[in-house]
Amino acid sequence: MAKRAKDVVFSDGKVTIRAKKEGVLENIKKHPAYVVFALPAFLILFFIMYVPMGGIIMAFQDFKPMKGFFKSDFVGFDNFKFLFASKSVFFRMTKNTLIYYVIFTGLGTFLNVVLAIALDQFVFKKTARVMQTMMIIPIFISYAAVQFIVYAFIASDNGLINRVLGTNIAFYSDANYWPAILTVVKIWNSVGYGSVLYMSVLAGVDTALYEAAQIDGANKWQQIWHITLPSLVPMITVMLLLSVGSVMRSDTGLFFQVTRDSGALYERTQVIDSYVLNAILKSPEYGFTAAASLFQSTVGLLMMLLANGAVRKFSPENSLF
Amino acid sequence: MAKTKKSAAVEPGKKTFGQYVLGFFLLLYTLFCALPVLLVFIVAFTKEESVTKNGFSFFPEEWSMDGMNSVLKYGTQLATSYGITILVVVVGTVLGLLVMSMYAYAISRPNFRLRKFLSIYLLIPMLFNGGQLAGYIVFTGYYHLKNSLLLLILPLAVTTMNVIILRTYIVNSIPAELMEAAKIDGANEYLTFFGICLPLMKPSLAAVGFMMATAYWNDWQNAVLYIDKNSRKPLQLLLYNIQKNIDFLLNNNNVPQAVRDAMGGSIPKYSATMATVIVVIGPIMVAYPFFQKYFVKGLTVGSVKG
Repeated sequence: MAKRAKDVVFSDGKVTIRAKKEGVLENIKKHPAYVVFALPAFLILFFIMYVPMGGIIMAFQDFKPMKGFFKSDFVGFDNFKFLFASKSVFFRMTKNTLIYYVIFTGLGTFLNVVLAIALDQFVFKKTARVMQTMMIIPIFISYAAVQFIVYAFIASDNGLINRVLGTNIAFYSDANYWPAILTVVKIWNSVGYGSVLYMSVLAGVDTALYEAAQIDGANKWQQIWHITLPSLVPMITVMLLLSVGSVMRSDTGLFFQVTRDSGALYERTQVIDSYVLNAILKSPEYGFTAAASLFQSTVGLLMMLLANGAVRKFSPENSLF
Repeated sequence: MAKTKKSAAVEPGKKTFGQYVLGFFLLLYTLFCALPVLLVFIVAFTKEESVTKNGFSFFPEEWSMDGMNSVLKYGTQLATSYGITILVVVVGTVLGLLVMSMYAYAISRPNFRLRKFLSIYLLIPMLFNGGQLAGYIVFTGYYHLKNSLLLLILPLAVTTMNVIILRTYIVNSIPAELMEAAKIDGANEYLTFFGICLPLMKPSLAAVGFMMATAYWNDWQNAVLYIDKNSRKPLQLLLYNIQKNIDFLLNNNNVPQAVRDAMGGSIPKYSATMATVIVVIGPIMVAYPFFQKYFVKGLTVGSVKG
């Protein structure tokens, strides 16, 4: 943050100390309206976001809902021992979370950029706009609805795919198909929307650059390689770095709704978020679930701080804080 | 996109062979996005027997209005759910926009000593949170809000990213001189904000508002966790329940007829289910094209920190 001019001007001399040290209280008294403006959102954040943070205490308790946070017994790190020892569940959901993060982020970013460049290069602008409108629509369809659409395609008895291929594949009970299915659904859902950001960068590229390149005899591909792509690199870097902060989070609806929460698929589809949601709905092992949540939040926090630090170094104006 | 968009392509209108190839691939991707949505509409108007006999198909043997009719028949729950969803969307979006823009205004005032504290306070929830389970226990066990619509509204009302977008807009796009001038003319802080700042924020309010409204409309998770009264069920929960019922009936062949009747006849029908999906996703698909330009702008604004 920039130094306040006042601090600099009054930084020497006793006489001015009072003027410099306008206390927070005085400042508030002078501008009560600001406090009034900030208060409602402050309170909502407090009750919805901050108070539940206290709930991480469960990770260190043998939590009993009847006893509550204050009276449940403390068990130290037992829950974490239990968590890390339960390879089958914990290891599986962490692995899945990470794998899908890598696939979705890698492939997603690549396709976002390709689509943005393709739409930008297309000279039939009106058609491009109509196409873009249709490509964005899937992001507005909730996963509760999406799962019915997916079902229509892959149902074993009357699904479109099985009917067209003349097969009888039981997609909902064979986990091995799901990395592919979820990736296709995710791309369908988010790439049209994701490319908008990159298109807005391309809209700002100076057309003189292209004209100059043409005069120099550069063909289309050379122009894309030497002008279009480099102009996107800063945005790509920033988006990638920022996404690192949510490496432990998943698109819960995709994993919970689209898979119909089918236990047979957990091996390849269960992520931390969907595990926790399931645990809550089916009366949780509190300590275990809370430990998993705390692990998720802590790793997320560390990654976020790391990523933001990197963005700040690379392009300060895009850092979050 | 924006009207000022300059064509990055060659000279405008140069329709080379390559352009048609490009157009072909873009068309393929457009179809990939649009056809699944089209399938919903087709199945909704397909005769039920066609689906059971030939499977889901873009070219059904027989068309029928049965699906839509049966949706209208079990309409009371649907109407209730529609009412709940609309209530939540409207109240949540208006409330959220109001409190977030006030907060954004406060932390964008250079002469406000608490601005730094409030900015950090805003940022922390994005970095760290107690997790779903802690939220669930606090909201139901301590606030006793099970089945309260507040739990559908408040959790989505204030989000860090949206406040940042609004603050960025205030800082970058609203001339400080305007607000100074208003103050010199004797307007107090409230008048300055509501009379001058807020009306000028319209583009970013439209962008954030549409994204919020969509998030509210599509939110199923809070509903699944906190709502089980029929009179409070939003649309997404209705969809979720339909799927659960289908699962239940498919997996339990010996469900007594009385239970099946209570669940609305036999196994919910494919065409009726898809008709319900149309009813649920329809309004957003109709509203979205009108908001597209705002929301593209909003997305762009959001990428830049003030």
